[in-house]
Amino acid sequence: MRQSNQLNRREFLAAAGAVAVGAPYLIPSGVRGANERITTAHIGVGGMGGYHLGDMIERREKGQVNIAAVCDIDETRLAGALKKAGPGVQPYRDYRYILQRKDIDAVVIATPDHWHGVQTVHAAECGKHVYVEKPACCTIEEGKAMVAAAAKNKVSVQVGSQGRSEPEAYLAHRYLVNGNIGHISRVDCFHYPSPEDNNPVPDSDPPPELDWDLWLGPLRWRPYNKRHCHGTFRWLLESGGGQIRDRGAHVMSCAMWWMGADGTGPVAIEATGTHPTKGLWDSAVLMDVTYTFKNPDWVLTWRQMPDDQLPPAEERTGDEPGGKIVRPGYGAIYRGDKGEFIHWGGDGGTWAEKKARQWEPPAGAKDVYKSPGHKEDWFKGIRTGAKTIMNIEAAVGVANLCILGNLSFTLGRKLEWNQAKQTIVGDEQAQRIMSRPQRYPYHL
Amino acid sequence: MSMQNKAVNELLAGIRDASDKVRTEAWLSAGKAGAAAVKPLAKVMTDGDLEIARAATRALWQIVRHTGRPGANEEKRAVEKELIELLSDDQPVPVRREVLWMLSEIAGRSSVKPVAELLRNAELREDARMALERIPAKGAAAALKTGFEAAPEDFKPNIAQSLRKRGQEVKGYPSQKLAPSKETNVKPL
Repeated sequence: MRQSNQLNRREFLAAAGAVAVGAPYLIPSGVRGANERITTAHIGVGGMGGYHLGDMIERREKGQVNIAAVCDIDETRLAGALKKAGPGVQPYRDYRYILQRKDIDAVVIATPDHWHGVQTVHAAECGKHVYVEKPACCTIEEGKAMVAAAAKNKVSVQVGSQGRSEPEAYLAHRYLVNGNIGHISRVDCFHYPSPEDNNPVPDSDPPPELDWDLWLGPLRWRPYNKRHCHGTFRWLLESGGGQIRDRGAHVMSCAMWWMGADGTGPVAIEATGTHPTKGLWDSAVLMDVTYTFKNPDWVLTWRQMPDDQLPPAEERTGDEPGGKIVRPGYGAIYRGDKGEFIHWGGDGGTWAEKKARQWEPPAGAKDVYKSPGHKEDWFKGIRTGAKTIMNIEAAVGVANLCILGNLSFTLGRKLEWNQAKQTIVGDEQAQRIMSRPQRYPYHL
Repeated sequence: MSMQNKAVNELLAGIRDASDKVRTEAWLSAGKAGAAAVKPLAKVMTDGDLEIARAATRALWQIVRHTGRPGANEEKRAVEKELIELLSDDQPVPVRREVLWMLSEIAGRSSVKPVAELLRNAELREDARMALERIPAKGAAAALKTGFEAAPEDFKPNIAQSLRKRGQEVKGYPSQKLAPSKETNVKPL
């Protein structure tokens, strides 16, 4: 299936006799040729996983990738994905079969959030490059393990906060770093509320096509409930974390990137909000989180607010390259000492305010990295060892913001954070919740 | 009726109220009710009305989160003591499971022995193992070690994993985390 005679990394290792299990690779990933297809497998093929599979099928037609396998714990979804992917693709229920296959270079992980950390670490330990959906992780401990596993095994990880790779994200970034609104001391993210469960149902037996044990994976065991499964997992703190961990991982990703704040973290986090009044879901409906950064000093806020308080979306004709704003319900306002800038969306749809789109950089203006596309940027990482635009360190930093916001909300108190030590300060209970024991054998 | 009993009764009345709003206000206010409300709330956690049961569970969590705050050690120990008593065999399994996770957040030394005893309970042993893994007291690691020696073969790998997480050396029983075990019924095209 390969279109190149060049050795891939695994073949190189075998030829070199570097076979020690778990030993770090000592060669850069640049061994792969630029024209060689990357052989991928898809873990989780519903929701965003279905999108990624479709995207990779298109890339297969263009000669960029091979698709070797699809995997899901829902047999109906798996059969559908297999039909879509076509002959020659192997179906699996258990992702660990994929990790054992030597012919697979990279995995696309689009499972529920509570699996991201474990599956990314396992894939890295088996030498696979990883594209994992956002948010990167559900606990501080998972994030640390992901960073360590990627570094130790020298694999390229791209996290699916694809807003960073959007064309208008580049324009916004360039506009801001050139001081067009002056020194920025505050970024206010806005989002519409998380939903309440208006149709709660009792626990029941899982449907026959679903492997509930594998769906839960690292989570503590609990009975199946259809309001805590495909899609709906998003609204439970232990698995999805609500809007802040869903869209926060997009909008705050843009903020950290544009503010040059990757690798930094807040010193204090304080959250308030409202709770659902019934049903299984427990993530904040309305929410107000303030992150205080020091050296440099700035404030980042995340606010889930009633629809009628959201800033109005900019009028666009639809003829602009990015088209009309179809996701006006979230974004961020950047407040500088010379003006303000707003963007909407922040994920696969990112729309920058007109003044950034129309700004012509003068001679000597600073330029910023322009992603060739989120997957293309990942492929570049695989081939050259270059850091991806949403590399695992940056993604964990953003996920930690989401985690700490939810933790402050859950505990009902302000938290202090030590970025250098990656720990909460002076609150033993909060420190314990930085990690979450995992069911055997679905652990880091 | 003491002020404390009155407060607990008012809390329970709110938890049992037919109004979603009243129940929510009640469980959100539960933190300050403290140890006195633990057992009365546990009784409501298995109420036949799902929303009432859920409100009671959330109220108990609220107490755990409130008493876990810095500087509230005495309150925390009082709540812990009540929670430990809810681990007994006469309590429903779902309540005991929830209580194990509550204790994992606030427990000190006095919880170690009663939690470790549940390593022998087929339904609760995995949750007990995870709770012990999280409790920082040195005794928790020692209890895991003792539990490991006494555990049946099928549970030894689980405890071995917790011991390794706690920095202990364990001979044998390597983690099977990367070993696939579940076949699909979907056939390739």
